[in-house]
Amino acid sequence: MEGTKKIVLLGQFGVGKTSLLRRFMTNVFEVDYKTTLGVQIKKKEITLPSGKKLSMIIWDLEGFSSVSNTRTSYLIGSDGFIYVFDLTRPVTYFNLREEIDYIEKNYPNVCLKIIGNKNDLKDSSSIEEYLANKNLKVHGFCSAKTGEGVEEIFRHIAFKIGSNE
Amino acid sequence: MVKEDKLQLLRDILLIDDREVAQAINRRIETITDTIERREKLSEKVDPIIEERLKLFVEEIPLSLGPVITDTLKKQIAESKDQVVEALYPIMGKMIKRYIQSEIELLSENMNRKVNDTFSVVAVKRKFRALFTGVKESDLMLSELDAPNVNEVFVIQKGSGILLGNLSHTATVDKDMISGMLTAIKSFVEDAFEGGGQDLEAINYELYSIHIQNFHTYYIAVVISGTYTKSFENKLENRLLKLSKSLSPRISTLTKEAIDGVLIEFFKKWRVQKK
Repeated sequence: MEGTKKIVLLGQFGVGKTSLLRRFMTNVFEVDYKTTLGVQIKKKEITLPSGKKLSMIIWDLEGFSSVSNTRTSYLIGSDGFIYVFDLTRPVTYFNLREEIDYIEKNYPNVCLKIIGNKNDLKDSSSIEEYLANKNLKVHGFCSAKTGEGVEEIFRHIAFKIGSNE
Repeated sequence: MVKEDKLQLLRDILLIDDREVAQAINRRIETITDTIERREKLSEKVDPIIEERLKLFVEEIPLSLGPVITDTLKKQIAESKDQVVEALYPIMGKMIKRYIQSEIELLSENMNRKVNDTFSVVAVKRKFRALFTGVKESDLMLSELDAPNVNEVFVIQKGSGILLGNLSHTATVDKDMISGMLTAIKSFVEDAFEGGGQDLEAINYELYSIHIQNFHTYYIAVVISGTYTKSFENKLENRLLKLSKSLSPRISTLTKEAIDGVLIEFFKKWRVQKK
């Protein structure tokens, strides 16, 4: 039996949400930065370990300064959130604690994964420690540029959502 | 040395260089005169310079003359509107005439087909409809020619935009993505304009209309081509209300295939256009 799930990519401007999605969908990376306006929607089918197929409808939202400013109508009905921050720009993870608190309070039943992007440019260990001190667990580090860890992140959330069915 | 010899010697010493210079100048003048007076020699010297200047001039035309030409043309057109209309009228007239002719031919062909079908069930039905409603049979015929067609039906979960079921004969864009984007557009419009929790009910684009009917947990989007009349909208709304009565109580338990089946059954008698 097939299922369809809505996954939303969240994160500040320029953290690489669209690049991650493009890498996952087409295995391509583009150097040019084009900011996302509104939302773009992609679909990818994944086979779960059980053999069932899961259609991921991925909503790539435009960047924000705080998740509380995002259009709530884009977030409702979601099955999973991937919160992306940029390892090279502290401003994208300094207020992560507040951001995650907001999401967990308003969308308690939605599966949430925190991802650090651009690990080809900066070592993640010190940031992981910094976030651990704030009681935050990062679920993965990746690079849309090299492709490292990207597939795993989307598979991970798909398996997690798929197993909850 | 006699006095005469001494004088000659002095003259030689003083004037020899001047003479040589004068001779060199004379030679140069002769060469220049020759160059100027003989065409081929002159063009050999001047042509490359003229060519270079010409090339530069051509390159600079759009920059230097472009705005001047545009302004002049604008001014000319503004000042001589009648002449411009006079010049364009025959061309435009011909084009419009040809288009109308072809449309009328098409219309008359369709009308003839319908008139020739006098004893068909549809024609008899039309005659009765004309008799009972008071609408002329010819008007009914005309409305039938551009009758609205249901092209696609989408049953979409509110919020998530997940496609619950669909009836379609096209295979262009992925239906899941269409339902996602429709939901995003719908959410955007409903958020952007402060209408106090109102719902988007229609999207129109040239030859097509998307009728949107909202229910509690889902909405139905119907893509229609042809003339989307108020009476058809009413008919469609009633049909969708009937559909929702059947769907709503079990929407959360039905699979996509089951909902697709319900849609096929519901729109069986409707003209769902194949592309």
